[in-house]
Amino acid sequence: MIDPASIPAAVGTVVAQVEYTNALDPGFKLVPALTVVAMLALFLGVGWFFRVAAVDDLWVAGRSIGPIENGMAIGANWMSAASYLGVAALVATLGYFGLAYVVGWTTGYFILLIFMAAQFRRFGKYTAPDFVGDRFYSDTARGIAAFTTLAIAFVYAIGQGSGMGLMAEYILGVSFEVGVIVFMSVTIGYVALSGMLGATKNMAIQYTILIVAFLLGMYAVGWSQGWSTVMPYLEFGPETALIVEELDRQFIEPFASGSYYAWVALAFSLIFGTCGLPHVLVRFYTVDNERTARWSTVWGLFFICLLYLGTATYAVFGSILYEDPVQDTETAVTAGEATSFMGMPGADADALVVLTVQLADLPEWLVGLVAAGGVAAALATTAGLFISASSAAAHDIYTNLYKEDATQREQVIVGRVTIVAIGLLVMVIAIDPPALIGELVGMAFAIAACVFFPVFFLGLWWENATQEGAIAGMLTGIVISFGAILNATIPGYTDAIPGDAISPTVATVLPPTSSALIGVPLAFVVIVAVSLVTSDPPEDIKRLVRQCHSPKPMKRSESAEDVAADGGTPADD
Amino acid sequence: MTDDEAADAGGSTPADATDDEAADADGSTPTDATDDAAAGTDGSTPAAEADGGTAAVAAGEEIDYLEREVNLFRPSTPFMRDNLKMIFTLFGVWVVFVFGPVTASLFAEEFMTETTVLGGFPLNFFLTAIVAPLAALVLAAIYAWYRDRLDRKYGITHGSGEDAGETGAEGATADGGEPS
Repeated sequence: MIDPASIPAAVGTVVAQVEYTNALDPGFKLVPALTVVAMLALFLGVGWFFRVAAVDDLWVAGRSIGPIENGMAIGANWMSAASYLGVAALVATLGYFGLAYVVGWTTGYFILLIFMAAQFRRFGKYTAPDFVGDRFYSDTARGIAAFTTLAIAFVYAIGQGSGMGLMAEYILGVSFEVGVIVFMSVTIGYVALSGMLGATKNMAIQYTILIVAFLLGMYAVGWSQGWSTVMPYLEFGPETALIVEELDRQFIEPFASGSYYAWVALAFSLIFGTCGLPHVLVRFYTVDNERTARWSTVWGLFFICLLYLGTATYAVFGSILYEDPVQDTETAVTAGEATSFMGMPGADADALVVLTVQLADLPEWLVGLVAAGGVAAALATTAGLFISASSAAAHDIYTNLYKEDATQREQVIVGRVTIVAIGLLVMVIAIDPPALIGELVGMAFAIAACVFFPVFFLGLWWENATQEGAIAGMLTGIVISFGAILNATIPGYTDAIPGDAISPTVATVLPPTSSALIGVPLAFVVIVAVSLVTSDPPEDIKRLVRQCHSPKPMKRSESAEDVAADGGTPADD
Repeated sequence: MTDDEAADAGGSTPADATDDEAADADGSTPTDATDDAAAGTDGSTPAAEADGGTAAVAAGEEIDYLEREVNLFRPSTPFMRDNLKMIFTLFGVWVVFVFGPVTASLFAEEFMTETTVLGGFPLNFFLTAIVAPLAALVLAAIYAWYRDRLDRKYGITHGSGEDAGETGAEGATADGGEPS
């Protein structure tokens, strides 16, 4: 565990290593295993059916997706193992501090909507580096953006691999390592095969599976324990009170696990990370017009809230069951290894959603279904990440920077090779993850917020932002966000540096998941300052920015560049 | 400028050249006709033509959005002013809902943790875990709805813009078919 704020106070009470490993039932389970196999077969089938050879289909699904379907895709793309498993874990172990993850990973969509969604749709290209490269008329900027896209996909996907491994342990009875390898291989094959259109079609299915599994588990636990009836989201008040009064008051004490600064910094990073994530951005390129882009954001947030509001419910239900299981299972608390649920070990915490259903002594097929939902969540997001990584490599690096006249076939091949390479690398790191799932994903958000959000935002809202400004701003963001992450993770890989971080002071001010509260304003200042002293962008770039904001409708396949370059539409006359 | 000349020609032959390029980029020839038709009528203007352009007139003088500066703090068109007014208002409300509860917990910890709602939720927990995400959802819906209204005010129709593209394709092929 690397985030100093994330070490629960109760962790210090873990003493002797007895036999206790984790509470999740190990061993192969037939019905859950068949559920997962059927689910994977369905994904591969749909992916194959909608398989693609054309670049437009591979990366932006032919720009043909409607608002509810795209809303579901936003939801599935968004809700990874970190949302499905990780957030409940963080709320349970960190209490009020963990709620910064709930707030950060939901409310950011509002900022995305009011400032960026429709404008990005009007910009109408393929990838995030496309936007940076074209808006800032610079191949260097494009290259930096492509590199950052790859780094984000990589860090983000590690957390997913970790979640897949945990679920495989429960469902297939294999070791964590084998689980990571099996599920990651399936994901790699699936993405390489189906591309964006297949992945988008699947995302609606994946969303349905994951939300049904998540809610079924939540309703079943609430019902069976007599805690809730029709609206568990609002009905766990008495259970929360029970935790506060009898189990662990720290759960709701605002600053027991992290300071006010740490809370705000974390929420800020996650919110603005939302607005800087390339695989989220691409979802707006896939819709048919900007009105659809706006409404699909609203739908997406609705679908996301269905799950996120439930994470606190799961955290509370799960915590009570962890202290006093209905099922005859040993947990860290009953084994005497932790004084309260807030001190549960990482493997239990990350599996808490599934564990809650198991500890409530509900049937194995239901526990398996909830676990399968976790696999669907991890797979959908990983697919989106791999696609954004492969498009950065094939479209932005290979085609735009290296070989201008690359054929579609070449691009598709480069894209697939990237998916395999990045997938293998993720597998290796995920086998021994450096942090909890939610924290790993939080780091990817910090990178996105520090590097991408300032250039996206100023690129869209200030036409005088220049290429020099953008490059300087992105480099600032890279230094801050990567610096914060390396500061906190390197000691975990080498004995040469003692302690949790190279510099504990830096780790307090710039936690690896929350570096954006300082990084984003700094990058803004750098971009504005450098832009003011360098010469203005060319007129056609300014027209491009104006076209992104113009209320006039555009044709589906048109990009802002096409219109701006036309020298004005006939309406000018 | 040559661009303007092309535009002046009103989507007839000189404009075809540029549109063909755009269509080629799309990789599909049948859309040539669409592009021509849509470019000729500017996608949004079939309605404007039919009612003599009142939709555009109602919104005030015709504005060339490509000639107006984009700056978050200096909106240069009435549309942008209306839009940004709403954006900043909603953004302010959002800040209160998102960072309000934690800030209140800092200054009035006892009140926020001792007050309970809905059968036992401490107030800080309730406002953060449940109210904040819901508030963002409601604010998002309000903004999307407001933008639709704004579109109507300025005579913009995406639905028909989209439809015009599609029906335009049929119309264009039909039209294009007649002379030949």
